[in-house]
Amino acid sequence: MGPVELLHMSVFSQSFSPCGRFLAAGNNYGEIALFSLSAALSPDASEGSQKPILNFTAHDGPVFSLLSTDTHLLSAGNGEISAWSWAELIKKVSQLFSKCMTSLEIPEINAMIINPKDNSLIVGGGDNNIHIMDMETGIFKSVLKGHTDYIHCLCFKEREEEILSGGEDGAVRIWGHTEIPLSRFQTCSGMVGQECARPQFGKWISCLATDSDWMLCGGGPSLSLWHLRSMSPTSVFPLPGCQREAVFHQDLIMSVGEGPYVSHCLHGGTVKAQIPCTPSSLNTLALNLKNTEHRVMTVGGSSHQIDVFTNFSYRAFSLSF
Amino acid sequence: MRTQITSSATVMSSDAVKKRKPKVIRSEAGAPETKRGRAEGDQDVRVYNEEVELEVRDPQQDYMLYKDTCAALAKLMEEIQELKAGGAKVQSVEIEERRTQCSVHFITLKKLNRLAHMRLKKGRDQTHEAKQRVDVLHLQLQNLLYEVMHLQKEIGKCLEFRSQHEEIELVSEEEFFQEAPAEISRPHVTRDDQHQLTLARLDWELEQRKRLAEQYKMSLARKEKIQKAIEQKREYLSSLQPGLQNIMQASLPVQEYLAIPFEHMQKQAEVARHLPPPLYVLLVQAGAYGQACDKNLSVSISGDVDEAKALSRPPEDSQDDESDSDAEEEQQNTKRRRATLGVQLDDKRKEMLRRHPLSLCVDLKCKDGSVLHLFFYYLMNLNILTVKTKVSTTTDLSGAVSAGELLNSESLLNCLYASDHGKETPNPANRYQFDKVGITTFGDYVSDLGHPFVWVQKLGGLQFSSGGAQSGLTGSALSASHMERTMKLLRGRLQARLALHKQFSSLEHSIIPVSSECQHLFPAKVVSGLVRWTTMSCQEFTELGFVQHVLKAGLVHETDLFFMATVERGTARLRAAVVMNPRYPEVAPLFSLSLHWKGERSGRTDDNLQAMESEVNVFRSELQGPRPGLQLLTNQIQRLCVCLDVYLETESQVCDGSEGPKEFPREKMCLRTARGPSRLKPFKYNHPQGFFSHR
Repeated sequence: MGPVELLHMSVFSQSFSPCGRFLAAGNNYGEIALFSLSAALSPDASEGSQKPILNFTAHDGPVFSLLSTDTHLLSAGNGEISAWSWAELIKKVSQLFSKCMTSLEIPEINAMIINPKDNSLIVGGGDNNIHIMDMETGIFKSVLKGHTDYIHCLCFKEREEEILSGGEDGAVRIWGHTEIPLSRFQTCSGMVGQECARPQFGKWISCLATDSDWMLCGGGPSLSLWHLRSMSPTSVFPLPGCQREAVFHQDLIMSVGEGPYVSHCLHGGTVKAQIPCTPSSLNTLALNLKNTEHRVMTVGGSSHQIDVFTNFSYRAFSLSF
Repeated sequence: MRTQITSSATVMSSDAVKKRKPKVIRSEAGAPETKRGRAEGDQDVRVYNEEVELEVRDPQQDYMLYKDTCAALAKLMEEIQELKAGGAKVQSVEIEERRTQCSVHFITLKKLNRLAHMRLKKGRDQTHEAKQRVDVLHLQLQNLLYEVMHLQKEIGKCLEFRSQHEEIELVSEEEFFQEAPAEISRPHVTRDDQHQLTLARLDWELEQRKRLAEQYKMSLARKEKIQKAIEQKREYLSSLQPGLQNIMQASLPVQEYLAIPFEHMQKQAEVARHLPPPLYVLLVQAGAYGQACDKNLSVSISGDVDEAKALSRPPEDSQDDESDSDAEEEQQNTKRRRATLGVQLDDKRKEMLRRHPLSLCVDLKCKDGSVLHLFFYYLMNLNILTVKTKVSTTTDLSGAVSAGELLNSESLLNCLYASDHGKETPNPANRYQFDKVGITTFGDYVSDLGHPFVWVQKLGGLQFSSGGAQSGLTGSALSASHMERTMKLLRGRLQARLALHKQFSSLEHSIIPVSSECQHLFPAKVVSGLVRWTTMSCQEFTELGFVQHVLKAGLVHETDLFFMATVERGTARLRAAVVMNPRYPEVAPLFSLSLHWKGERSGRTDDNLQAMESEVNVFRSELQGPRPGLQLLTNQIQRLCVCLDVYLETESQVCDGSEGPKEFPREKMCLRTARGPSRLKPFKYNHPQGFFSHR
């Protein structure tokens, strides 16, 4: 990686290890880098501890999605999903990473989530469909069709075991146990969701998050909080750029997208704070809630640096590829 | 006991009375001879000699007598005292008797006293006599000792005497007996007699020396004769020289005809002897390389040979000259004012930066006829080589305005090897020399003296211990190991610059020259076009807003060249700031984009513009074109145009909300217009299918 390549790097995905001490990040060159959070957060951290402890090429194309199970790191490249054992990654046994690859005939995989109840992996891809794979056997059980353009994001409602998907076509679909969507709604045409629409940007939905009855969605339209049972937006957040990832955290909503800042918003619809970061636009936000010692928030975007927030109100330091 | 003593005393005293008398007579008479005569005459008179009596009497007895007498005297006194105390008269008989006795005792005492005195005198006399005798003997002893010492010294001197004959080195005895003829050696005599032997040896020595002196004279005479003969022959030879020169001159046309530049090489070798060592190494190595590998490289020496000869002349002559000239100068100086300190310093500086009068000229010819002239100079006091360049081309190159800096002789050879700027002297010792004459930066003198690049030093075999890996080579080996690579780099640099020159003149006419080998990289129809190509200064570049990320990443150096390309299509205008490293095309130019279309966007704010930047910056290896990759820049610019086309045509949103006709109808074939979370556009062109896809 020369300095020119570093200059043009974008980080698309992140995932914390099950123990919470390591962070894996995937970039647009198909590489995955493993960072040691315990080293970077220790009192005698140096510049070297902000560099990856391991850096390897996982896929041909960009790594748009990373997901951690209890034992494995799942990474998605151009139509292939690889599973890497966390234990081996941490030990940096370079030659012997175990991979189990599954190939699909889809151009890219943008989102992956896990259904813990029946141990299945739900994959949203560039072929406009959602694929569900059984993790034990590795066989794809079912395909959920319905979107007319590629799927940006997925999220899972645990209580009802429902899948929400948002796509480039601007639709958010809710899927139950069957292959037929339970409901769908467009967020920027028709009566519903007029106030969020931003036609100058487009209609795509690039971020989804759900917290039992509430749902966040944003993208081309403004980031908005919806009440699911009534299917109507309750608050619209006046954020200028297109948001790419949003999460519920305690009573705040944190979202990242275009623009070099992390936005903290309240449920009421006000933007509480915008914390500046190094990358000029952000793709991914991750919170490390598994480990109380290393409770950090990390964001990555169109830069080779990943910002780490120990106190969510300001940027502490940056890890770099 | 008392009575006995008394009686002996009485007897003694009566003797004493008797003896006294003759003594009295004697002393009254005077002369002892007469006395003796008289004593002899008178047989009755006893001859009294008290001295004789001394020898007879025992001093111990006399002492006892004395004590007794004193005791008796004391007793008598006591008795008298008693009698007087008893009332007896002074003239009573007892007292008188006692008084008489006392007197007698007194007389005894007086005699004893006399005897004591006489004894003393006698003892003294004897002692004195003995002392005299001892003194005499002592003197004699000392005289004798002194004599002995004297004689010993004399003997010593005699023994130490070295006669001059012992300083002459003689042959050893065995040799002498072997070599000397019998009449000199006379063994029958000399074997026994050391003195004769020495004499004989000396004789022999004399003989030999005379003989050798004779031989020496003869040899000298012979040498003189031979010397004369040599002189004659030498004159003969030197008379031949002009004749040979004529022959050489006459043969020159023949040499040229046969293409054996024998004469020329000889002349060069002759001049080369006066070159300083680094230039000599360079000459030899460059000439060897030219002969062996590269027919288009030629080396020649230029400069003043006489001055070079003057430099290498031995210093005594020049010292004499100097002292004379100093004297003259001093006379002159007293007339003029002494030069100011500044001028003196200036002179010292000039002296320090003095160049050797000879320099090398290396010419590298390229296939198209252009030539890169390199002039190598040697700075004597600083022990470094410098180089100046000149480019001569067959065609006129005044077309392109932006290409002004490309072939500038000051910057043409910048960074031939990475970070070899040629602004500072590579010899660390020069720092101290500069401090003495007040030179702070060598860079000020570089335009005059030439650039002291590190590769130039290496070609001359000079190795300075600066940082970085050093090989153990010095001198010719060092030069040879760098020669091929450096010459290739030089030629490559010239060709790259000339190619850029041509490309720039084309770019300035808004034509992107794409050669036929590279046509496959781009679609057939490219609508966006280059409208402007200008050069920028470093300052202007750093002031641009959309290049700050490049500056922060440390990818911009002062030695780089900066350009601005403007690509337009319709209302959209794309500005690209280009940073070109002098080592183009080894190091690819770096593009930073800023688009002005419905607002201002740059690579920082728009992910798609960043994707376009990475298309030309990161995937540059696809755009190199045929070796040696001189079309990189033009291919990059063409790709920018293609990407702008794709960008504008796939941008479906209209800013003001209306759904009117798009400004840029879709003409490019794209499978998908967006992919991934950042919804990037397909910028990758696939040949020969002709569609665009994502990377």
